[in-house]
Amino acid sequence: MASYDYVEKAVKVSRREFLQVVGVAGAVMWSGAYIATDLIQDRSKYIKMRAQGIYKDDAKAKVRQSHNNQALNEMYSKFAQKPLSPLSEELFHTRYTDRTKLG
Amino acid sequence: MSYQGEREPRVLKHRLSSRLFHWGLVLGFIPAAITGFIIWLKPGSEEFVNMAMKVHIIGAAILTVAVISYSSVSINRIVAFIRQISEWGYNDFKWMMVGGGYAHKMILKKEISVPPMGKLNSGQKSMGILMFHGGIFLLFSGWILYSFIPLAPKELIYWLDFGHLWIGVFLGLCTLAHIFLGIYNWEDFKAMFGDGTIPLSVAQHHNPLWVERDIESVQKDHKSDSEVIPV
Repeated sequence: MASYDYVEKAVKVSRREFLQVVGVAGAVMWSGAYIATDLIQDRSKYIKMRAQGIYKDDAKAKVRQSHNNQALNEMYSKFAQKPLSPLSEELFHTRYTDRTKLG
Repeated sequence: MSYQGEREPRVLKHRLSSRLFHWGLVLGFIPAAITGFIIWLKPGSEEFVNMAMKVHIIGAAILTVAVISYSSVSINRIVAFIRQISEWGYNDFKWMMVGGGYAHKMILKKEISVPPMGKLNSGQKSMGILMFHGGIFLLFSGWILYSFIPLAPKELIYWLDFGHLWIGVFLGLCTLAHIFLGIYNWEDFKAMFGDGTIPLSVAQHHNPLWVERDIESVQKDHKSDSEVIPV
């Protein structure tokens, strides 16, 4: 156990200083929390609106299935031969990258 | 039991809460800084860098817990620290002009007179200002980069990443200098990693203004660290 003969005088924190430190820390944390929740709320709102828009377009559409889409069938017949053809595979299929690696 | 005559009088320089916080910095900031350089320079395989990022995040978590705990328990020490790093005068200018006499001491092996300093000398105050503001920025930017990349505006993420890297590099290099000078000032090093006390003569040599203005004698029955109410 430490033994000593001199110690620093007690630091007196005035009410003003206490409010300054706590106020700045509180304001920074509150702003951070507000920005974070606002971003998440906005994101959820946009995802919901996008999904609603897509459903609305689908409901309005005369042709609702991709295999009955005239433009798509024309594209296959004139250009990409058929779904899952080597050219379709090369042009349309998505490749995924492993994002679990952090570095 | 008489303290006088048995040993040199000692002064408590670093209280228990400050020493514990310093351990938080050692266990949090140093691993985060080392792995930060690894993530930046990528000296090894993908697995190695990936592991470095995991350690970086754990270091950041330790650092965050240390900062929040210390701020909650010892707000008066935070106020004292802010007061100390904000107090600048002509003596600081003169101290900085001679680099605290360290270059003379280390390279030329001679001591020159330097202006009297308080608990922190001008170099430590500069380091304190950088660490205080830079550390807060690193913590906030780091957690935003960890949590909100898919949500935050790309421009914001770009500048936070830029600032996190370069402020981190700068503070990492400052910490290297801090460790070197910390070991060089062996009594202070022992105090920070030991019982927090230094001989009064050492304090009078390095921190004459602190000894003159800011310390007081303790009562005989209040001589142990655990018995004195920490401030």
